[in-house]
Amino acid sequence: MLYPAAQLVLASASRYSVTGLYQGAVGTLNYRRLFEQEALATVLLNTLVWVTAVVGVTVVISLALAQLLDASFPGRRIVRWAVIVPWAASLIVTAKLFVWVYDYYFGALNHVLISLRVVAAPVDWLGNDATVMGAMIAVGVFVSLPFTTYVLLAGLATIPGDVYEAARLDGASTWQTYWSVTLPLLAPALLVATVLNLIYVFNSFPIVWTLNDRNPGFGHDTMVTYLYKIAFKSALRDVGLAAALGVLNVALVLVAVLVYLRTVRWQDAEA
Amino acid sequence: MALRRSLVALLGLAGCLALVYGGCSGGPGDGKSIKVVIADYSKDNTKPFWQSLAADYTKRTGVKVDLQVIDWNSIDQQVTTMIQNNQPPDVLNLNSFSSYARDGLLYTADEVLSPQTRADFLPSFAQGGEFRGTLYGFPILASARAFFYNKPLLAKAGVAAPPRTWSELVAAATKVRDSAPGLIGYALPLGPEEAQAEWSIWMWNNGGDWKTADRWTINSDKNVQTLQFLADLANRHRVTQVNPGKTNRTDGAFQLFKDGKVGMVIGFSPLAAQLDAEGKVEYGVTAMPTNADAPVTLGVEDYLMAFKKKDNRDAVRQFLDLYYQPDNITRWITAEGFLPVTKAGVERMSGNAKLRPYLDALPRARLAPTTDPVWDKVKLDVQQNLGLAVQPGGNPRQVLDALQQRATAAAEERK
Repeated sequence: MLYPAAQLVLASASRYSVTGLYQGAVGTLNYRRLFEQEALATVLLNTLVWVTAVVGVTVVISLALAQLLDASFPGRRIVRWAVIVPWAASLIVTAKLFVWVYDYYFGALNHVLISLRVVAAPVDWLGNDATVMGAMIAVGVFVSLPFTTYVLLAGLATIPGDVYEAARLDGASTWQTYWSVTLPLLAPALLVATVLNLIYVFNSFPIVWTLNDRNPGFGHDTMVTYLYKIAFKSALRDVGLAAALGVLNVALVLVAVLVYLRTVRWQDAEA
Repeated sequence: MALRRSLVALLGLAGCLALVYGGCSGGPGDGKSIKVVIADYSKDNTKPFWQSLAADYTKRTGVKVDLQVIDWNSIDQQVTTMIQNNQPPDVLNLNSFSSYARDGLLYTADEVLSPQTRADFLPSFAQGGEFRGTLYGFPILASARAFFYNKPLLAKAGVAAPPRTWSELVAAATKVRDSAPGLIGYALPLGPEEAQAEWSIWMWNNGGDWKTADRWTINSDKNVQTLQFLADLANRHRVTQVNPGKTNRTDGAFQLFKDGKVGMVIGFSPLAAQLDAEGKVEYGVTAMPTNADAPVTLGVEDYLMAFKKKDNRDAVRQFLDLYYQPDNITRWITAEGFLPVTKAGVERMSGNAKLRPYLDALPRARLAPTTDPVWDKVKLDVQQNLGLAVQPGGNPRQVLDALQQRATAAAEERK
């Protein structure tokens, strides 16, 4: 685990030719050039929106889904298995599928929306700058739901039944029970789910890459796809610069996770 | 329990043995095997041909071939990674070569090609593979673009003949678009897949060019005029498909044309082969509409190149000789639907009626400036950014100025 990390830092301090040939050490030059890139600010903002929206929406929907799957009803086993499907399918396959669903001319989504008269004309979901991010977030949530739901489901399973009994005896309403009893007891599971999702979603490459594939420029990239473009696809074709961005990415994720943990511990201490 | 444990141990031992033997089968440049990396032109033809060629080669010389067929979307990245890890291939097929030549990684033609093969190349293609006057990028195949049109769509729209000038193009596209709902006049792919190809053709047909003499002239007045024309096609005349700056060639423009929704598109012989196979669209092929004296089309040549490694020169030389035998090279190029790059190939394929329009266009086909290593960066820059100019609110002059500025900066850097 240390070797790749060490190689990354070494690469970020080196200069590489367009062909990939190593051309010598350059100290902090790559880091200075990185912060001079015009697109960096937009990419950082995109990443913030992407991570916050996907993790936020996923957790909220997963809370509801976990409650649903915790209750007993006929066919529960089948529904539980069905929830796993988006997780089992490879991300690239899912992303490619959604590219065709969202397509302006051939897509199922436009077809359905027009038939239901929700929109009057087809929408270019992946081409229109206003809708691309939303479209990507929807897919991100879709593939993150299974994992998060199951973590929360496991969390729900650890809550003893007596607690609910006690709440009922005290005369608490359903919503009061949920808010004051279930959620606090779910806190550890929520913590796990959120931190892991933060890391996965920040590093998520296939969804953004595939859905954003036809768009020129860097307007909708996140840090990870921007890194890939710098290394291989843009005029920069600069492995050293990309490695510097890689180191920055790792630092950002670490900081985000630490801040989150600190906040939660602080809230715990208050309680 | 004991049985399971010994089973696991047995499997582990077998696994270790496999690794040891696998690792022993030769490393780079030790003369016993060569690594050949080929781009994936088509699912049906590329791998079978190269696998049989490799088998033939191993039979004749005893040298094993580690063949890797990689698709176009990832081949650049994978080759960069190979070189970064000091594991370059022995023979590489790619659409650019001059950066590798400039970095001193390649053999010259004199070192690995037989004199007969060298003399057989068509002069314009051989020239397209030279870096500072020496041939490093050996032509492997070529393609030329042509103007495709949907015959029934144009007829129904009242367009008598395919357009010859730009104003005729606008008129024809408008008529097609108006003739029935959901139709597209001209499909314009300026997305990141191959924006530079589509752009080259329009640029040349207005008298502009990538470079003039030795200087980059990407943002010349003629070029700005051309890009503005394309932006108008999209945003003012509205005769293109939605968001041309975000449409690629293969899954966008071609797909729509194959579906019979498009009046006109710029295509090439593999597209014709697909249209023939599907039989849905009755199409015609003609020369490009032009705003200058004579139509110009884009010729693209791909290259084979050989990497310098200890002790691999003879093995590589024999492999290249085998590929360039007229039977082999013609067989593969015909199967893929591309054009020959050797005089022998042109002779053998001149009887093919389907290829007539492209073979005729070959003499007037122009190549991108692939001999200049800066082109490798410019090409990627154009792919990534050109589409921004034709979206609503896009600024052609600004985009071309930025491309020009980065090209000249790269040229200065590499001096």
